[in-house]
Amino acid sequence: MILIGLLAFSLFGQGQDSPKNWSLSGYVKNMQTLLFFNDAFPDFQQGMLVDTFLQDNLIHNRLNFRWMINDELKLRTDLRTRVFYGDLVRANPNYGDAIDNVNNDYFDLSLVLLDENAWVVQSMIDRLYLEYFKGNWEVRLGRQRINWGISTVWNPNDIFNAFSFTDFDYEERPGSDALRVKYYTGFASSVELAVRMFDHFDEATIAGMWKFNKGSYDIQILGGYDRNYLAMGGGWAGNLGDAGLKGEFTYFLPLDKEQDDAFAATVGIDYSFENSLYLNGGYLYNSAGSTSASVTNLFNFELSARNLYPYRHAIFAQFSYPFTPLLNGGVAFIYSPVDIHALFANPTLTLSVAENWDLDFVGQITFDKEKRGYSSPIQAFFLRMKYSF
Amino acid sequence: MKRLILAVLAFTLIMSTAAYAQNLTAKEIIEKADQKQRGETSVGELKMTIIRPTWKREMQMKSWSKGSEYMLILVTGPARDKGTAFLKRENEIWNWQPTIDRTIKLPPSMMMQSWMGSDFTNDDLVRESSIVVDYTHQLLGTETIEGRKCYKIELTPRENAPVVWGKVLSWIDTEEFMQMKAEFYDEDGYLVNTMYGKSIKKMDDRLLPSILEVVPADEEGHKTIVEYLDLNFNQPINESFFSVQNMKRVR
Repeated sequence: MILIGLLAFSLFGQGQDSPKNWSLSGYVKNMQTLLFFNDAFPDFQQGMLVDTFLQDNLIHNRLNFRWMINDELKLRTDLRTRVFYGDLVRANPNYGDAIDNVNNDYFDLSLVLLDENAWVVQSMIDRLYLEYFKGNWEVRLGRQRINWGISTVWNPNDIFNAFSFTDFDYEERPGSDALRVKYYTGFASSVELAVRMFDHFDEATIAGMWKFNKGSYDIQILGGYDRNYLAMGGGWAGNLGDAGLKGEFTYFLPLDKEQDDAFAATVGIDYSFENSLYLNGGYLYNSAGSTSASVTNLFNFELSARNLYPYRHAIFAQFSYPFTPLLNGGVAFIYSPVDIHALFANPTLTLSVAENWDLDFVGQITFDKEKRGYSSPIQAFFLRMKYSF
Repeated sequence: MKRLILAVLAFTLIMSTAAYAQNLTAKEIIEKADQKQRGETSVGELKMTIIRPTWKREMQMKSWSKGSEYMLILVTGPARDKGTAFLKRENEIWNWQPTIDRTIKLPPSMMMQSWMGSDFTNDDLVRESSIVVDYTHQLLGTETIEGRKCYKIELTPRENAPVVWGKVLSWIDTEEFMQMKAEFYDEDGYLVNTMYGKSIKKMDDRLLPSILEVVPADEEGHKTIVEYLDLNFNQPINESFFSVQNMKRVR
């Protein structure tokens, strides 16, 4: 409704000769999921983990609306609607509430339209902000993504809205209800301050970031307060010969003495060969991570910049290669050299079927060493068709 | 996608190289073209079409450049990639991804990448600024291409020059100094691909081929076409225009 109202308003406000000052774009995706559990699905009646196989489907629509109110003011509204149906929905009686409550937004701009049997329909305003820019100033107010990450795979600097890489279907990633003021001091340098809306101070995130460019390196330094922790960190993106060298770290000092401090740091190298083979390798140290938890935690651990991965150590390797200009294939592995030797394998294939039509195949296969030896407790396979407009 | 964009970089440089030269020796033609290209700016809108025997794909973009050092490209189509932008400043490249609200720094090796399978390699093209320094030039005579009298110039890479080609033959219009054709040979002397300048139009203050076609030598039915929809030269653009914040703001 809001969207339609805005549309009408902007059309009304448009002069006859002026170029179009608004745009509407988006996509529709249909994704089929196959989930295989190998002694890993919780059966509450039997009170044990069992083997099972689940099939689910997700239809996902996104509408991105932009309105250039004038040369200095812009409004952005994105609406995300998802229709879930299948076994996983049926198996979880509170599926609707569960997916509705995952966002840590201040304002509740989401609605479960339907939650019956194996069906859930949920709609949310994923972005809603005003942006003012003039000269070197940029001010944004509203639901926005404050993306402070600079490295490739893990982003310990992304304290406003960390995301899980297993959630590949949410490319835009979650936003924050926040005020952000940025001043650009050069072609790749800026100073910014951001505050997330809060009622109680222990829910607040208030932080600043300074970015600058030196000797072909982009460098950033971060400091602030993040939900009862003081956060201090930094990161860089630069070149090592013809390869990219990126890294990022944040130290979290608790203000509450009963909590532990946390340190997350990552470093990675990426390189693209002349035949277009792309390689990316990296390492994450995550002091809050476990050394023994089951690999099934990958899909439900408590995610934040303080804890980007369930394990203390993680080594990442990714290969991707365009077999033809239309077919791109790749595989990523994340191995944790801890007691449980958790391994996450993530093969992907992307095919451009036609102009604006993409078909993706994605696998998420987990391995770990538990009591019964090395095995694969969960395998997930996704087939997704996307139409962009 | 990234490879396509980098290819545009290459095309633009090739074009402007051929844009203006005055006369006489092969080296002078190339040198003058090269000098003319430096310090100039261009603002353009273009469409790239990749043609294969069983499919084709189109991409539209706007580009801003200053010399060979600075370039900003905004993708305007197709829908999936719209709003994505690329910034090149000397040997640094950034990519703006509007969907995730993030600027990503790309490794320099992306510049050396080949694109479109075997059609083209970016390596020597993006380093087009060395066309004077890295090659020796020989005027082989004149030939008629598409009814226009052209200088035929052979470019041979100097020893240890960072060039992948064994040699390049270039046909440059004797009156308007437009590159009408170029042949790229590998180190064994085999033709790799041919570029044709077509559909000559007055763009801004000068006459230029508005369509560039690249045809690989040994791939039946393969072709890449770049069509300039609009091209303007020498508008003053400040170096500070080529910035990370402008990738988000250009329209």
